[in-house]
Amino acid sequence: MCREIVALCVTNRQNQTMQDTSAISPPDLDRRSLLVAGAAGAGALALDVGFAGHADAAANRYFKHGVASGDPYPDSVILWTRVTPSAAATAGSGKGPRVSVRWQVARDEAFENVVSEGTFGTGPGRDHTVKLEAGGLRPRTSYYFRFLHRGVASRVGRTKTAPAHNATPRRLRFGVVSCSNWQAGWFSAYRHLSERDDLDAVLHLGDYLYEYAPGEYGYGNSNEDIRPHVPAREMVSLADYRQRHAQYKTDRDLLDLHAKAPFIVTWDDHETTNDAYRNGAENHQPETEGDYKVRRARAYRAYDEWMPVRMGSAADLGDGTKLYRRIRFGNLAELSMLDLRTYRSKQVANGLSGVSDPDRTITGDAQLNWLKDSLRNSRAQWKLVGNPVMIAPVVFPPLPADVTSAVNDVTGLLPEDGVPYNVDQWDGYTADRRKIFRHLADHGVNDTVFLTGDIHSGWACDLPLDASTYPATRSVATEFVCTSVTSNNLDDITGTPPRTTSLVVEAGIQTSNRHVKYLNFDDHGYSVLDVTSHRTQMDYYKISDRAKRNATSEWTASWVTEANSQTVHAATSPVGATAGDAR
Amino acid sequence: MTPELDRRSFLRVGAAAGATYLFSSSPAAPAASAARSRKRVYVLVVDGCRPDEIGSGLMPRLQALRDGGTNFPRARSLPIMETIPNHVMMMTGVRPDRSGVPANVIYDRREQVIRDMDRPADLHYPTVIERLNRDGLTTGTVLSKEYLFGIFGKRATHRWEPGPIVIPVSGHAPDQSTMDAALAMVEEFDPNLVFVNLGDCDRAGHSDVTGPTAQAVRRAALVSSDTQVGRFVDMLTSTGRWRNSVMVVLADHSMDWSLPNRLISLQPAFDADGLLAGKVQIAQNGGADLLYWIGRDNRRRAAVDRMRTIARATPGVLSTHSGADLKLGARAGDLIAYCKSGWRFSDPAPLSNPIPGNHGHPATRPIPFFLAGGSRLVGSGVSSPRLAHTIDVAPTVGKIFGLGEPRGGYDGRVRI
Repeated sequence: MCREIVALCVTNRQNQTMQDTSAISPPDLDRRSLLVAGAAGAGALALDVGFAGHADAAANRYFKHGVASGDPYPDSVILWTRVTPSAAATAGSGKGPRVSVRWQVARDEAFENVVSEGTFGTGPGRDHTVKLEAGGLRPRTSYYFRFLHRGVASRVGRTKTAPAHNATPRRLRFGVVSCSNWQAGWFSAYRHLSERDDLDAVLHLGDYLYEYAPGEYGYGNSNEDIRPHVPAREMVSLADYRQRHAQYKTDRDLLDLHAKAPFIVTWDDHETTNDAYRNGAENHQPETEGDYKVRRARAYRAYDEWMPVRMGSAADLGDGTKLYRRIRFGNLAELSMLDLRTYRSKQVANGLSGVSDPDRTITGDAQLNWLKDSLRNSRAQWKLVGNPVMIAPVVFPPLPADVTSAVNDVTGLLPEDGVPYNVDQWDGYTADRRKIFRHLADHGVNDTVFLTGDIHSGWACDLPLDASTYPATRSVATEFVCTSVTSNNLDDITGTPPRTTSLVVEAGIQTSNRHVKYLNFDDHGYSVLDVTSHRTQMDYYKISDRAKRNATSEWTASWVTEANSQTVHAATSPVGATAGDAR
Repeated sequence: MTPELDRRSFLRVGAAAGATYLFSSSPAAPAASAARSRKRVYVLVVDGCRPDEIGSGLMPRLQALRDGGTNFPRARSLPIMETIPNHVMMMTGVRPDRSGVPANVIYDRREQVIRDMDRPADLHYPTVIERLNRDGLTTGTVLSKEYLFGIFGKRATHRWEPGPIVIPVSGHAPDQSTMDAALAMVEEFDPNLVFVNLGDCDRAGHSDVTGPTAQAVRRAALVSSDTQVGRFVDMLTSTGRWRNSVMVVLADHSMDWSLPNRLISLQPAFDADGLLAGKVQIAQNGGADLLYWIGRDNRRRAAVDRMRTIARATPGVLSTHSGADLKLGARAGDLIAYCKSGWRFSDPAPLSNPIPGNHGHPATRPIPFFLAGGSRLVGSGVSSPRLAHTIDVAPTVGKIFGLGEPRGGYDGRVRI
């Protein structure tokens, strides 16, 4: 989601009095209030299809959206590309011939040792995308892959399979990103990740692309478009979604990263539209945009077509829309990727009512039980959870649970876990959160780490069973939240210099929420998660300026969860960019 | 002297501060260390310790051992997560359905009494202690709890007799005394294998009314236990034993604390049921209740179904299981009920279990488990994501001494 950061800012300006409870409404800024007149740039898209030495012009002609891989298993990986067989076969056009594309996987970049290959048929019915599962591969092995059409090869991609289920990898390392808004800037974060050689995979935790029209949600509080969206309207139709995906997959930095490491993705709301829930979304107007579920089906179809992800039992298009899934990395880690938009109840109007209603859900029953099973069954030491929205409580000073219960016996007014700032995240669905946290405590599950995006800021948190009595009582897991690649955060919205106004807000939140150990509302960038049996470490990197094409990158902080600690603490340095560095 | 004592030889050993410690030894035992092997293995059980407590800053000596050795952060206690069964699993390498020891407390159908499993004859399976003895090596037990001393009986070559200094209510010897005895045991007899239980952390955990929050007593015990482990390491180092030593340091279970209003009493609910009234015995094991149908056999299935239904509907009950599901064997009864974290069973009456700290339920499965020592067999600074269990101790000890697997094989795995 993009607007919660705005709500949070508004809330913090007013939280000293809290007289006006509307101040804690969820994204209550009408989206139209953010529209900027004169959406300059519509139709002025400069497609960035340069491959900067990666492929020749012919490859650019047929494979202009690059190559990608994803969802690595020990013996297989998803491979993806899109072929443009004719000038008319533009994304979303529904035009162009059916064609065959050959694919190859090799141990070497020169493709002298091809280990798996085949042919894939595609056409306008699937927007000329190519997505397949390449099998017969060896565990934890790097491979090169490419596609060929009419004798022309795509650029070469690199991927890596997961370790065998019974393997004991010494370490794993992931790039961690979220919230990449084309209009808000350049994807330098992706470039800096692609320059690393040590990543097993890249976790994209949602908001891979945004739905807005030019001028609607861009750079800073004036919504300047650093690069305008295509199509020049909010994406609603299937063609819109396809074209928007196609546009994002012309960003050179994103293409380089896709070609460098497998992605493991989940969606948040903007892959469909802002603040989505089971039957609707804040940014969906049925009277002008039609039935929400029809729109969502289009968004999901385009996502299935354009992303290297399994949305069912296999890579087949349309074989399902179940995005929540597990990917195991030997006995060191198992990653459970969540879908927190498809099954959730509608967000409550404000933080004072309904957030703890046990009949409301963020996961849905089936996914909740699936997640509990992921956590309880000890298949791996680290239970990593790819979590689109924040799970740590971020509330006005919480009362002890027993006190809240007593007050509610009389008044029924208080949310059981305090008054939240943002009801679009787990704070708005505390019954589900309690079930998860209780589950961890009841079953003695240690070493669960939630990896989160969405909130355009960097966080490191303990996850207390009862935030009101923490740290006198225990933590059951931890959470690392990565910041946005480009989407606005607090200093962008307030228009104040970085690390000025935000420091006050951060201090206020940490005072009320003692389990929040690190908070940075200002940086854009990416994170690197390093996993060993000793600990997990999240390194936070910021980019110098998202408005600049060649922004630099700088390490800002590192936070660690030691094995069995269920807490975070600061580390003094990041892990190196090579896999052989020390713990 | 009783006839039983006549069959043993005793040695009174002087220790620090003028104290003396009484050891009993098997008649044929050599007075000093066996020369067959220079290897020494010391299994130190920090009873009831949670894995996070090792890194809490209160246990620097244990933390240093852990970080310098081979750590298994995924280590788990096994059902029932109680002291006696897990010590038995450590020394046998097999699950309770093979050892005969599923819990601290059972309902003994033959004797028709609820009792501790503290008799030597309760343990049906050969321990690594006896098997090493048969192989010509020597063993020693320094067990701080009366019921542990009871069940392991005379199996070891040399046994510490903790009787005179056992604290009456807790039934255990304080760690300082236990460690004094362990040091004396090693220095006097130098057994190849010494099995030590340090009981303070567990006993302080059980009795600490500040457990849910401050854990004041518990934290003091952690510091004390750490100091005692440090004394052991210092002795190994100063006497030159360190380089041949493997220390297996672990807990038998961890600890969970409940509030006074988080009690579960199943007995009144059973007694209020027409089918079950007067026909169910409950062996309470802290966070686990073992339920026994004592009525007619032809009603057993219906009765177990009813027990399960009532238990699952009771606030605070996490789950129910059959003994077969948990590999506990017939002695564990017809049904096992686990409580949730922060709760405890109190059966047959609400006042039957007044202690806040409990274990036995799944919340208390995580344990510290690491190998340390100067032996080349010990990996240095290693952390393994492999799943280790209390049941892995015997196979590991056996492997170190070249002992073959017992009949039917181990259920545990070698961790070295």
